[in-house]
Amino acid sequence: MTEFENHYRPVEQLIYAWARTIDEDRVESIADLMQESGRYRVQSRFNHDRDLPLAVIDCKGVAQLRDRILSMRKANVYQPHHYRHMISGIQIISEPEPKVFEVRSNFLIVRTMDLSGDMKIFATGQTQDLISFQHDKPQFKDRLFIYDSRVIETLMIIPL
Amino acid sequence: MCPLDHSAPGPLSADQPSGSTQATESRIWPSEGYTRAPYWVYQDAETFLQEQEKIFRGPNWHYLGLEAEVKDPGSFKSTYIGEQSVILTRAEDGSLHAMVNRCAHRGNMMTREAFGTAKKLYCVYHAWSYTLKGDLSHAAFSQGLRGEGGLPKDFKHADHGLQKLRLETLCGLVFATFSDETVPLEEWLGEVAHGIRRVLKKPLKVLGYDTQRIHANWKAYHENPRDSYHANILHTFYGTFGLSRMSQESGMILDKTGRHVYFYTKAGTEKKSEDYEKTSSQLRSHNDGLKLEDPSILKWTDEYGDGVSVQILTTYPGFVLHQIANSLATRQICTKGAGQTDLVWTYFGFEDDDAEMTERRLVQTNLAGSAGMISVEDAAVCEMMQHAIGDAQKGQSFIEMGGKDLDISGSSKLSERAIRNFWHHYKTDMNF
Repeated sequence: MTEFENHYRPVEQLIYAWARTIDEDRVESIADLMQESGRYRVQSRFNHDRDLPLAVIDCKGVAQLRDRILSMRKANVYQPHHYRHMISGIQIISEPEPKVFEVRSNFLIVRTMDLSGDMKIFATGQTQDLISFQHDKPQFKDRLFIYDSRVIETLMIIPL
Repeated sequence: MCPLDHSAPGPLSADQPSGSTQATESRIWPSEGYTRAPYWVYQDAETFLQEQEKIFRGPNWHYLGLEAEVKDPGSFKSTYIGEQSVILTRAEDGSLHAMVNRCAHRGNMMTREAFGTAKKLYCVYHAWSYTLKGDLSHAAFSQGLRGEGGLPKDFKHADHGLQKLRLETLCGLVFATFSDETVPLEEWLGEVAHGIRRVLKKPLKVLGYDTQRIHANWKAYHENPRDSYHANILHTFYGTFGLSRMSQESGMILDKTGRHVYFYTKAGTEKKSEDYEKTSSQLRSHNDGLKLEDPSILKWTDEYGDGVSVQILTTYPGFVLHQIANSLATRQICTKGAGQTDLVWTYFGFEDDDAEMTERRLVQTNLAGSAGMISVEDAAVCEMMQHAIGDAQKGQSFIEMGGKDLDISGSSKLSERAIRNFWHHYKTDMNF
């Protein structure tokens, strides 16, 4: 067994856990899946491919991610809706430092509006993750969601 | 004019660019004038087509982009004015040009890329090519072959260039107009040009883009950044974290025609008053007791040295320039039918920003745009309004905050003067 194979299942479980946590509307709990100093970003492929640094969401540290979720719950106004994540193609592609794995996966997120029942593919793209193992426990050290369309439908309030 | 179908004034889905047609008599503006906006103007397909002609191809300046986006000779950008795809180019001699993105021959789209570089503009359909200034340089087989075919002997290349637009720049912003009647850009902007000069003081550097698709009429969005009344009420973030409150020193400046407007607020200047305390205690934004665990995203530097923490500037009919702390961006309204608007946010800094300043601007993107913790409500409100007007056969908005007149003086932000002025110009342009 290679290091990649040894760590594949926990990596896969972590990626699925993030998605399910959001889909089950326990969004606050994604913070537990990330290191305190972890970074979470959502960037368009349009910017990424052009080496433009702008990300529509950029949380440096889990505190900023928690703040964003608090804002979503307490401050922001939007039409209630839910996500459903479809994840595929999870691959570990490198181990840049010991017990830290560089991982790619595909995502497709369907957004369903609570009131109207309208469903739409909200985002699709690739995640570029660094997943760190400490005492056999995997956590995200860096999560980058690169969404394929340059367009965001209405607004992005629930993290991807 | 499209024929009107009196028998089927059905409701319009926000997704449907073609709209309901309505009886002419229902398109009469309410007698109160610009203090009312009838809901059919947000939905009617015939009105939408008239807007393209009278406003977007009419005597107004439309934002195309930043000079920094077409920095080098040979670079181009494709964008829109209303529904019309337009190319912005920088020619070999460094001059800027704007032209319709449509071959003069058979109407094929010239440029399929958002940005690029080219020596010439080339139509793939029949290989007609144009200079970066829009002049026809070559039409394939124009002489025919072996004495047959080819263009008529009296064909003049000079008569078959791409449709060119007038173009002017101010502080790195590029504006264009279809009309020969439009007064020069700075004259058109009037006093509001000061707000542009204040923010865009140095050469710019693009940081990235965000396109937000709002399923609402373009005017619903255009009214929003003109609306200083809502800012501190709807957007909880502003009030709770002290970036902008009604109690702070602030102002509203319109040009003398009232077409354009900007608002500013100075953080850290609190003017205490009893009526403010009383009203604000009822605002959602002051009741939630929201605290940020990591408030570093709100840390900003007073880079202009005037204490202004927020400045939102809007020009008629589809451009916004914002300074929210150190976040700088333009917003361009691109109409996509009567029921959809693509709002293109272009974020930028200055060429000479150091790494720390660039990082600060990037982090503050969290506050604005499609996922902005401050501004996310605007798209939601536009769509909720579009939803609530139903088939738009009845009803009108009420726009009398701060009075019933167009008066452009006075600085209170608790006023809808800027919105009344918008509808005044809209009505005039549309002959309503």
